[in-house]
Amino acid sequence: MADAPARTPSAPAAPAGDTPSPEGSAAHLVLDGLVKTYPGKDGAAVRGVDLAVERGRMLAVLGPSGCGKSTTLRMIAGLVEPTAGRVRVGGRDITDAPVHRRDMGVVFQSYALFPHLDVARNVAFGLEMRKTPKADLKRKVAEALELVRLGHLAGRRIAQLSGGQQQRVALARALVVEPAVLLLDEPLSNLDAQLRAAMRDEICRIQRETGVTTVFVTHDQQEALSMADRVAVMNHGRIEQTGSPEDIYERPARSFVARFVGRANLLPGTAEGQDGDHTLVALDGLGRVPAAGEPVARGGTATVMLRPHRIALSPAAGGTGAVRGTVLSAGYAGETVAYRVRVGDDGPLLDVERPTGTQEPFGPGAEVELTWDHAAPRLVSDEDGDSEGSR
Amino acid sequence: MTADSPDPAHARTPPDPPASAGTPESPGPAATPGSGGAPHPSAAGPAPAATRRRSPGRVAFALLLPGLLALLLTYALPLVWVLRMSLNEAEDGGVIRQTLSVATFTHVLGSSHYWNVIGQTLELGVLVTLCTLVVSYPVALFLARTTSRWRSLLVALAVAPLLISSVARTFGWMAILGTQGVVNKTLDGLGLTDTPLHLANNLTGVVIASTEIYMPFAILAMISGFGRLDPALEHAAAALGAPRRTVFRRIVLPLTLPGVLTAALLVFVLSLSGYVTPRLIGGGRVFVLATEIYDEAITALNWPVAAVLSVLLLAVFGVVISLYLWAQKALEARFTGPGEARS
Amino acid sequence: MNVSRLSRAARSVVLTVLYLFLLAPIIIVLVESFDNATYLRFPPEGFTLDAYRQVFANEAFREGFQVSGVTAAATALLAVLTGVPAALALTRLRFRGRSAVEAAFLSPLLVPHIVLGLALLLILAPIPLTDTYWGLILAHLGVTVPYVVRTVSASLVSADPRAEEAARTLGAGGFTTFWRITLPAIRPGLFSGGVIAFLLSFDETVISLFVSGQNTVPLPVAVLQYVEYRSDPSVASLSVLLVLLSVVVVVLVERGLGLRRTLRSG
Repeated sequence: MADAPARTPSAPAAPAGDTPSPEGSAAHLVLDGLVKTYPGKDGAAVRGVDLAVERGRMLAVLGPSGCGKSTTLRMIAGLVEPTAGRVRVGGRDITDAPVHRRDMGVVFQSYALFPHLDVARNVAFGLEMRKTPKADLKRKVAEALELVRLGHLAGRRIAQLSGGQQQRVALARALVVEPAVLLLDEPLSNLDAQLRAAMRDEICRIQRETGVTTVFVTHDQQEALSMADRVAVMNHGRIEQTGSPEDIYERPARSFVARFVGRANLLPGTAEGQDGDHTLVALDGLGRVPAAGEPVARGGTATVMLRPHRIALSPAAGGTGAVRGTVLSAGYAGETVAYRVRVGDDGPLLDVERPTGTQEPFGPGAEVELTWDHAAPRLVSDEDGDSEGSR
Repeated sequence: MTADSPDPAHARTPPDPPASAGTPESPGPAATPGSGGAPHPSAAGPAPAATRRRSPGRVAFALLLPGLLALLLTYALPLVWVLRMSLNEAEDGGVIRQTLSVATFTHVLGSSHYWNVIGQTLELGVLVTLCTLVVSYPVALFLARTTSRWRSLLVALAVAPLLISSVARTFGWMAILGTQGVVNKTLDGLGLTDTPLHLANNLTGVVIASTEIYMPFAILAMISGFGRLDPALEHAAAALGAPRRTVFRRIVLPLTLPGVLTAALLVFVLSLSGYVTPRLIGGGRVFVLATEIYDEAITALNWPVAAVLSVLLLAVFGVVISLYLWAQKALEARFTGPGEARS
Repeated sequence: MNVSRLSRAARSVVLTVLYLFLLAPIIIVLVESFDNATYLRFPPEGFTLDAYRQVFANEAFREGFQVSGVTAAATALLAVLTGVPAALALTRLRFRGRSAVEAAFLSPLLVPHIVLGLALLLILAPIPLTDTYWGLILAHLGVTVPYVVRTVSASLVSADPRAEEAARTLGAGGFTTFWRITLPAIRPGLFSGGVIAFLLSFDETVISLFVSGQNTVPLPVAVLQYVEYRSDPSVASLSVLLVLLSVVVVVLVERGLGLRRTLRSG
């Protein structure tokens, strides 16, 4: 087809004429009940994954190693054949399409650059497969390399590049063919910490400039929260929760999500009734705590999540009704101090994190009062909510 | 560039958006971003795993087919033919009677001549193996331990003979061991002997030449089997007060034994089936299974007997290899303890 | 101190003697190849290249060289053509019975050549393919394919399968991926497998003895028959020439590959 009007990587198109629908527009990539079982292994690697990514958005699939996130990505790419379920892109079912007809841009964890080709020929590979005319090919390769800021290294051998440069080549190679979807498998895990932060911004910039619908897989919650428009947390082959980074962090639905994304105090208790949007939960040693989130019926067991940094500490005063505790340990960590606080005499242990420099740190044995704002406690459903997913 | 346009991708492929926009079903279960709402996967997808694309089994079969055909034609089938031939009988004048009998087996095993051949084959194998191990071990040990900058040259020199065909090397040994050869000329010239030593056309000559011919194999097998030999262990033992001989006996020898065993198997098996050296150096007076098989097949045209001898040789091979595997397991058990070795 | 110096000297003497033993036939062959006698004698009494001239004048050697060269080239080609797909399947695909197939591909290494030679004679004689190029090539194929499978498998294992996946995601089909990505990555293993197959076939004596006759006599068989009845230095000269040839081949291949590798990384 004539690709004259097509977007070029270095010069992203202006907003389209058709009505842009920022929220709730049609999903571009849809996974429908993807399942992958391996013969001879009990339990499926992926156990029914539903996901939808809107056009031009970036979705992070976040989970511990072995949770099935990479398998899911490889099923989208067509490198793994799903046992059940469908993959749709732009409304077209591509589940049965072979890998090389899928129009996916994939960046592998190891980059998987072709060692015997130089940078430009690596990038040109996908265009050659598409029989792009010579002149177009040259221009597009140059533009793609400009996009990843490697124009000056076009003639280099792969072995001569640093890890970060290889990463950029891999990105350029995946993007130059203007794929329907860009898939990134642990894109930053092979880089050292400093480079990782820089590449994080780079990938976000490139994704914004090209507007390519992107799915990336990571085990690093920082990466997922800071880069993605939406995050899907995965565990044991299932999606635990999908939402905006803020949703995931502030309003985790499950205790797994609460623990995996950031640190959390998880306190078991009993629901005692409703108070507006909040459920009143009786917690051991903490009394009756109103918690936001999916309501739990009166008398049901409920787990309340409290982020350590949402708890404030003050020296114990005589006031009644306040939650009191004793500092068991205090770990100085530069920007913050991490406390362990025993509530009451034999109440629960709470992790508390306070910024340094705002108040005199407490030492072990100090008597403190614990306070938090109304919105801090959240109801999360427990692990056995896992079975709910299979219904 | 206003990079954060709400949906730049819509401009990308103009013909595409209407198609995708026209899929009302696409806001799937997870597309509704309910805050904190857990997705409700519709477990098993609608589509059963039907035959998609190409099955890996079929691709594998297609790729393996040429190689398997080659093996079948040039290796498996011929061996089956040998087995089949060993159950035939030979009649006078190279005529083969197609039957299914063990008559040829009983004929061969009932003849003292063939038992002599088998005995001499085993004798040669044992002698060559022992000699080769004795002369190869010091070289291999040296090469495994040395840090000399000549090391790679010395290793190359040790395996260089492999580049030269065994025919040529055997020819060299004929020139050394013959009655007019280097050894006898030298001894005669020094006035040490009156009559030349009989070093060729007998078992002695075959053993000497075979030892040299299998030496590179033995050295290679030993070096690669000496992997566990860590000089630090010897230093440690010496530091603990062990004299050199004790260090060798208690540390070096046990650690190098697996490599020696592999070399022994290799040399024994090679010499059991060696043909060129027994034929050339033996000068028609050393009869081993290999020369006998050739003579029966080519000279006497007695294919059934040749086939029976081949089957016997394969049987000896089987026994030797089983013994080796057993010995290897026993050695392994000594290193790792019986419990681990079994798992 | 004295003891250790003594034992070190003793060790050097032992090693020197052993090396001399190991290299003795080669040294003798080299020395003899320049002798001017028509029979084998020692020490040589003159320096001449007569023996080398004789090699080139010897019809049996010339023909044997041609037979062996053609056979080895064809065998190596066939071994590569059949061995590479097999190695590809064994390293890149998961299928039932994979380890059994792998064992099958290596098993010819366990069978003595004398038995294989007889076996091939029995099967090729009735067709009849003995004493022909095709017979020799088929006979050598079974013993060379395992080496090709092994060397190519080794280089396939060390090549990154992700690069192949990347090529496929970029639109390359199975064959294109193999041709443009896999093949360049395994070229060193492919070459060494091919060279090993060539040299093995070129040097193969015992199997060839069974399947060759009067018309198609490969060089090792010609040499063997020559040595059995005559002993003059021309065989020594021939051996020296063959060693030189194989060294040249190995060095050329090594150089070619090494050069390419340094280009790639440097």
